[in-house]
Amino acid sequence: MSSAQLEIQLIASLVAIACAIPGTFLVLRKMAMISDAISHSILPGIVIGFFITQDLNSPLLILLAAVTGIITVILVEYIQKTGLVKEDTAIGLVFPALFSIGVIMIAKNANDVHLDVDAVLLGELAFAPFDRLIISGVDVGPKSLWIIGTILLITIGLLFAFFKELKVSTFDTGLAASLGFSPVAIHYGLMTVSSVTTVGAFDAVGAILVVALMIAPAATSYLLTNELKRMLIYAICFGVFSAISGYWVAHWLDASIAGSITTMLGFLFLAVYLFAPNKGVIAVLYLERQQRTEVSLLTFLLHLKNHTEERERHVNHLNEHINWQKVRSKTVLDLAHKNNMIQLDKNIVSLTEKGEDFTSQAIDYIITNQDSKIEHMKDDFFLFRG
Amino acid sequence: MENKIAVKVDDLTVAYNYKPVLWDIDLEIPEGVLMAIVGPNGAGKSTLIKSILGILKPIAGSVSIYDEPYEKQRQLVAYVPQKGSVDWDFPTTALDVVMMGTYGSLGWIKRPGQKEKKEALEALEKVGMLPFKNRQISQLSGGQQQRIFLARALVQNASIYFMDEPFQGVDASTEIAIINILKALRKAGKTVIVVHHDLQTVPEYFDWVTFLNVKKIATGPVKDIFNDDNLTKTYGINYKVSIQE
Ligand SMILES: Nc1ncnc2c1ncn2[C@@H]1O[C@H](COP(=O)(O)OP(=O)(O)OP(=O)(O)O)[C@@H](O)[C@H]1O
Ligand SMILES: [Mg+2]
Repeated sequence: MSSAQLEIQLIASLVAIACAIPGTFLVLRKMAMISDAISHSILPGIVIGFFITQDLNSPLLILLAAVTGIITVILVEYIQKTGLVKEDTAIGLVFPALFSIGVIMIAKNANDVHLDVDAVLLGELAFAPFDRLIISGVDVGPKSLWIIGTILLITIGLLFAFFKELKVSTFDTGLAASLGFSPVAIHYGLMTVSSVTTVGAFDAVGAILVVALMIAPAATSYLLTNELKRMLIYAICFGVFSAISGYWVAHWLDASIAGSITTMLGFLFLAVYLFAPNKGVIAVLYLERQQRTEVSLLTFLLHLKNHTEERERHVNHLNEHINWQKVRSKTVLDLAHKNNMIQLDKNIVSLTEKGEDFTSQAIDYIITNQDSKIEHMKDDFFLFRG
Repeated sequence: MENKIAVKVDDLTVAYNYKPVLWDIDLEIPEGVLMAIVGPNGAGKSTLIKSILGILKPIAGSVSIYDEPYEKQRQLVAYVPQKGSVDWDFPTTALDVVMMGTYGSLGWIKRPGQKEKKEALEALEKVGMLPFKNRQISQLSGGQQQRIFLARALVQNASIYFMDEPFQGVDASTEIAIINILKALRKAGKTVIVVHHDLQTVPEYFDWVTFLNVKKIATGPVKDIFNDDNLTKTYGINYKVSIQE
């Protein structure tokens, strides 16, 4: 692996981490769209900054672009506050307007410079290692590595300092405000970090990959965990994994790196969406089937408990009485048998002691709906897992 | 018996999008009462609480907590928001939500530690939710979620408690459990202010009541002012409620 290859992967991974952190909170705040808006509407900020500094990596340019990002957020909120349109409409009004201002400015003035709309939108990671940072004659590495590294350090610092404030204001704005943690300040802090990250990363990876790296890893990890810290860690891992694997896919297919990374993010999401242990599509289907069987089991046990007459408890009678298909009756019968809840005596079915017990507890639960009563039954049965 | 004023609201007017929803509210809540705020849907009950707690900026008027502005007295106040105001799919556990009640006394940046965790566990115990401490909050029933919110307020260890519909969607046994906790708070000298919808239970649960419908209709001891006249003024239709003495 050449040092340029290594540098590209390093830059992509740092961008992925820097995006996953604000991205997690954007997803939880249902603000995924705003990152899209920011990533496009910073264009006029970049163009103006470029006219002033003539340098795509100047800190002033980053600052101006970040300010444009914040202006976007303020405009969106202002339009939304009029109560005339919803948030998504407001976003759809603001960012195309700002973006086209940027496009017009480029077309009018920057024809001959290294700044075109394609580069902004798609970026080109492959070129990132060529733009070196030279300090007093010494080559210290690619410029974008330093830019995104600095942004990432600041982001991590802020995350550690304000984790609890971010959490409470995201979960419960009202409580946060009443405790004195200004949700407005935290909101704009998060927006600033998102804007600065977008600007810092766009030159290397392009605006579209920035949005993908903010939203997809967070959305994926949301399916896998019930804890905020883990959600952050998983999101970071997914981002870095997609960045590195995407790089190698691009290498083998000789394709765009940003495109491959985005594709990897998509695949990862799809895989988790299908196979996640609790919230995944397959798990949900399986759980539903399991629950249906257990409801049937309970119906069956209740029938046995209610009827002392042998006639009602004859195997043949059960089939027609409960009116199930053969297959289903057999599954249920087997399940009850396996759990030692019923016994068969000359084709007459009756409840065992365990079966009696289980049935009364279950009825109790259904009537009182008190979870504590069945806490100990939960390991055995899906039905009671809420 | 009550002489100190815990909460004082002066000429408060609050608007959303320039349309006032609370108009010129004057209110004094004496220390140590268990007070119900009653009024129809959209009367501005939640808005009143949010304005007292500095969550909303009023367009006119002022609020004081023990004669000081709210900002200075945050530590004295605990808040239970209306249950529907938060996202219950948020990735967090019951214990973690209760811990949030300790954030106020920690202030900015400081993280909760063992002491805060112990307090949170005690509060969970008080509301009977200890077995559920590691449950993800979306997997709790409505009544259990309400208990978690109550535990979070208890952890705040405040002098004044504001609760927005703590009885919303809870069954009879949970309702009794909650009201017993509220009565215990009053006994300990705390002031408890509760948005309440079930008029039948007002005389049984509360000793003080405020009628609200955009304007303040009346406020005072339940035994003096909880009558058909005020109910009719607030709800606009004839109300008959039997008041048990
Ligand atoms: N964020 C908001 N934006 C605009 N209007 C709002 C907002 N929140 C509340 N309102 C309006 O303000 C009025 C008072 O609302 P509030 O929530 O205070 O009523 P409430 O008395 O708590 O009602 P409920 O019993 O339904 O909880 C209502 O007419 C409501 O439509
Ligand atoms: Mg309300």
